Amino acid sequence: MTSVVTTRADDKSEPNPTPTVRAVGVRSVLARHPLAAYAVRRFGLYLIEMWGALTIAFFFFRLIPGDPIQTFIQTLQQNYVYNVQASAEVIARYQHEFGLDGNIFVQYLHHMKKLIIDHDFGPSLINYPTPAQNVIMQSLPWTIGLLGISAVIAWIVGLGAGALAGWRRGKAGAEVATNLAIMLGHVPFYFVALILVYVFAYSLGWLPSRSAYDSNIPPAFSPQFIGSVLQHGILPAASIVIIGVFNWLLSTRMLMIPVLGEDYLLYAEAKGLRPGDILTRYALRNCYLPQVTAFGLSLGFIFNGNVLVEQLFNYPGLGSTLVTAIQQLDFNTILAVTDMAIISVLTINLILDLLLPFLDPRVKYWG
Amino acid sequence: MMTSTATIGRVLKAPVAVVRSSPKLAGGLIVLALLVLTALSSPLVSRAIGHGADPVAVAAYERWLVPSPAHPLGTDQLGRDVLSMIIGSMSTSLQIGAIAGVISTAIGVVVAFLAGYLGGWIDAVLSTFTGILLVIPTFPLLIALSAYAKEVTLFQVGLMLSIFSWPFAAKIIRSQVLSLRTRPYVELAKVSKAGAMEVIVTELLPNLAPFIGVGFASAALGAIFGLVGLEVIGLGPSGVIDLGHIIYSAISTGALTLGAWPMFVVPIALLTLLFAALNMVNIGLEEVYNPRLRSER
Repeated sequence: MTSVVTTRADDKSEPNPTPTVRAVGVRSVLARHPLAAYAVRRFGLYLIEMWGALTIAFFFFRLIPGDPIQTFIQTLQQNYVYNVQASAEVIARYQHEFGLDGNIFVQYLHHMKKLIIDHDFGPSLINYPTPAQNVIMQSLPWTIGLLGISAVIAWIVGLGAGALAGWRRGKAGAEVATNLAIMLGHVPFYFVALILVYVFAYSLGWLPSRSAYDSNIPPAFSPQFIGSVLQHGILPAASIVIIGVFNWLLSTRMLMIPVLGEDYLLYAEAKGLRPGDILTRYALRNCYLPQVTAFGLSLGFIFNGNVLVEQLFNYPGLGSTLVTAIQQLDFNTILAVTDMAIISVLTINLILDLLLPFLDPRVKYWG
Repeated sequence: MMTSTATIGRVLKAPVAVVRSSPKLAGGLIVLALLVLTALSSPLVSRAIGHGADPVAVAAYERWLVPSPAHPLGTDQLGRDVLSMIIGSMSTSLQIGAIAGVISTAIGVVVAFLAGYLGGWIDAVLSTFTGILLVIPTFPLLIALSAYAKEVTLFQVGLMLSIFSWPFAAKIIRSQVLSLRTRPYVELAKVSKAGAMEVIVTELLPNLAPFIGVGFASAALGAIFGLVGLEVIGLGPSGVIDLGHIIYSAISTGALTLGAWPMFVVPIALLTLLFAALNMVNIGLEEVYNPRLRSER
């Protein structure tokens, strides 16, 4: 059994190693290449997590009451003034089309097969016959742009602020920032979004409160369009960044403080290094790694809040698509959005964990 | 008999000493207590404002009244008194948090002990499952569950929310079980032929109490968070009126544009206070038991 020991302060969240079945020959090869063994083990965990999460998602959404096919046929009848009762054949045909025939386990196997082999989520109900994956591909860039950029900015700023707050602990500024973070770190960011909308969009009228760009400007790589996108993105992004910075500040400070008592910092100080260098090159470098893992772990949570922010700003991202799809019982799109979010979050976590050994020479392996 | 009385004494005495030693913890608990008192005063406030009539009945007063001494926070789109509505719904939010917190903590403790104390493949399976629920975006799943739940009681809503908030508690408690089970006094108890249950009850639980507290606060926070999220986009379980629901009706009826600010500023302020209080309790407890984190050294 190979195992990996990181010198992280907080190793609690890490699930225990999941044993993977390997042949004896493979085992000896892996024993000689601990890095490869770590990668294989982490990838095995990734596959298990992926399967578990996608399965949980599938069965959860089948709980939603209502008959999507009836809803679909009613919509068709309204749109085309088609007054004839839908025959059993028509219903069966559509059930097959949407992957809703057979019992729930048949549907589950069908869904997993389509997903894994064909990368196909089936047709969207509201936008029939457009495949659900095409529907979400239109909204995905908006969410990646909004959530991805603001999450990264919040992480970087929060890390810096937290390092500083730990470094200058006891000083007034650092203590005010820390206490503010304790107060506000757990406030949902759509609260901040609401307040920002009220102040900057309704009261002052400085910034737009809805949509992702001005619909009068044709979408293109023109300065006007990009400017409009940025202008519309400021408020939703600010809400994610503000709360994110507070959260990262608090956790970075907690990681920083034990490091600040280490002897090598005293030595660096005695050598006469500048405080700024000691902070960034000695102290922060030794405590930012758990935050890389924590960044990955926080993404799912950020996505949850992002659903609300997008809904509030009528932002055309995955969150708005999800809420619309749920209201319309569009099963395939609901599952497509959720599965996409799950796949992205788990994959980013995998990548970050695989990067860790390259970021930190202290990560040790033994056979 | 002696040992059990002594154990109970230890379990009771410890929290008092802990609260005294941490201003953050004390502050958090005081704010929590004030919020609970406000929620409990709901019938009194209703009587004072309604003068016998129901101040939250539809069309009890004129619509969209601005704040005045008779209606400190004005009235809403249906002519209901906003203050009475907010205090009533806060009581709902707190109850949901308490119910979901208790259920989650109970599940969390059981899972944490099974995983942390027994170890092996049980730990691997349980920890992987807990990890999945903590990493993936669970809000879409909560929306699905909420759509499934029609005409539910507060208890059922709490149960529903705890499905997603127990991993918070389980994770915190498991890591403590792991660190405690190899401590010398636990080893000693094991060597002296104490049964597994006896070790758990007399040696582990008293030392875990603060972390069970942290687990409860985190789970309650997660549950209130989840419900407010559902309500704010109008997809909450029908029939439950919590603070999130008030925010939702403020947004959907255009209170933001009408200048009826108390309708969304006050619920947000109350929830912010609640989140801050629960977080102060969390951080206070963690600092007491992990003194390296304290700012004054």
